[in-house]
Amino acid sequence: MISWELEFHAPTDLAEALDLLAERGEDVTVLSGGMSLMPMMNLGLVKPEIVLSLNRLRDLAHVTDDGDVIRVGATVRHGDLGADPTVQDAYPTLSSAASQLGDLQVRNRGTVGGSVAHAIPGADYPVILMAAGGEVRLDRKGSSRTVPADNFFLGLMWTAREPTELVTEIRVPRRQPGWVTAYRRFTRTEGGIPLVNAAAHFAPAGVGGVVAVGGVVPRPFLLDVPAFDPDDPDEVLDELEAMASVATREQVPSVDEDADYRVAMGGLFARRVLAACIQQLAGGEHTGEPA
Amino acid sequence: MKLPIRVEVNGDWRELEVDTRTILAEMLREQLRLTGVHIGCATGNCGTCTVFLDGKTVKSCCILAADVDGQSVTTVESLADSPDNLHPIQQAFVDHQGLQCGFCTPGMIMSTMALLRSNEDPTDEEIRQAIAGNLCRCTGYEMIVESIRAAAQASSSSVGDA
Repeated sequence: MISWELEFHAPTDLAEALDLLAERGEDVTVLSGGMSLMPMMNLGLVKPEIVLSLNRLRDLAHVTDDGDVIRVGATVRHGDLGADPTVQDAYPTLSSAASQLGDLQVRNRGTVGGSVAHAIPGADYPVILMAAGGEVRLDRKGSSRTVPADNFFLGLMWTAREPTELVTEIRVPRRQPGWVTAYRRFTRTEGGIPLVNAAAHFAPAGVGGVVAVGGVVPRPFLLDVPAFDPDDPDEVLDELEAMASVATREQVPSVDEDADYRVAMGGLFARRVLAACIQQLAGGEHTGEPA
Repeated sequence: MKLPIRVEVNGDWRELEVDTRTILAEMLREQLRLTGVHIGCATGNCGTCTVFLDGKTVKSCCILAADVDGQSVTTVESLADSPDNLHPIQQAFVDHQGLQCGFCTPGMIMSTMALLRSNEDPTDEEIRQAIAGNLCRCTGYEMIVESIRAAAQASSSSVGDA
């Protein structure tokens, strides 16, 4: 199925992986769970000469509780992320999204870092990380940097990662009393990549919040929710829906036959995820359930 | 590029030399002649190539053979030693017409096994979720769900072995 010669590396420690990237990063394709890369290779859509598998790395499978921040290693698989009690407690929206994306086999194999680095529009983590004010850690030989999620996702399968760097970790803030978060996604088929998704984050309650929208646009975008009265939310819902529609329109080419549909869905899901938060604010209850 | 790997397949450790281009499903089918592992879409959608890798179901079309060095693989062949002595899950699929063309069946069986290991008495909704990663092009889902329901009733004591 894969017809071209493939040089394969599967180091057991991170330093070895970073060495390879430092020397030959331009020619290396990083393989993690492979849930996106392997289909692309099987179809011949990408033809990497050198594959660097992270599946034997021991260093990046951690979930670490640093108090105000939770760090999740890049090779943590979706199912393990969803089942992790630390993440369930710290950022329930992330946890429940991980438990419901794809299908069981995909959750058993696909990884957090792979999904984040692949950056396909509609992937679940980018909008959640952007709304949460999360970060992505990148390591290269001898140094590392941490990039806010909003600056990491740059477009269709395009991120701030340099060829010599590896996505090693995501970081999400631990929820504080009064935080409200929500996530909504829409797929045409069970297990598919969302056509549109949106995440909202209010912290602390009453001080306004942000909504991130993805899927309908190459680059997920973040909107500040205007100040509003929780007892009379219709106005802000209309306003946010209009803002999200405009922001979607900016990125959707007018020649796209789905342009109007994308614009409508971008607006609608911004509205829905905000409505979910407002409902929680009114009820004073925190739930992380996606629709 | 060829690499030596050591992999446990259906309980036996095997020393193999694999081309780095080989996907796990090809290795199982062509090198080990375990042709119960079907290859359908090769894009991770249809799930007929589903096998257990270190105890969890994965789609073997989306894993490089070279990447399973040191790991344990279980295929549908491990379930029964002869057609006359089927595993309760397989027997339930036979008894309840849980297959039409049969192409998706190995994956359906492996996903059923994964489900029943963690949930002896699944609801219909849980059954449908469990086979979300397995497509039946004949669209025979009603009978598949019925077969899984029957397998759950018949086999709660014997699905933990494979």
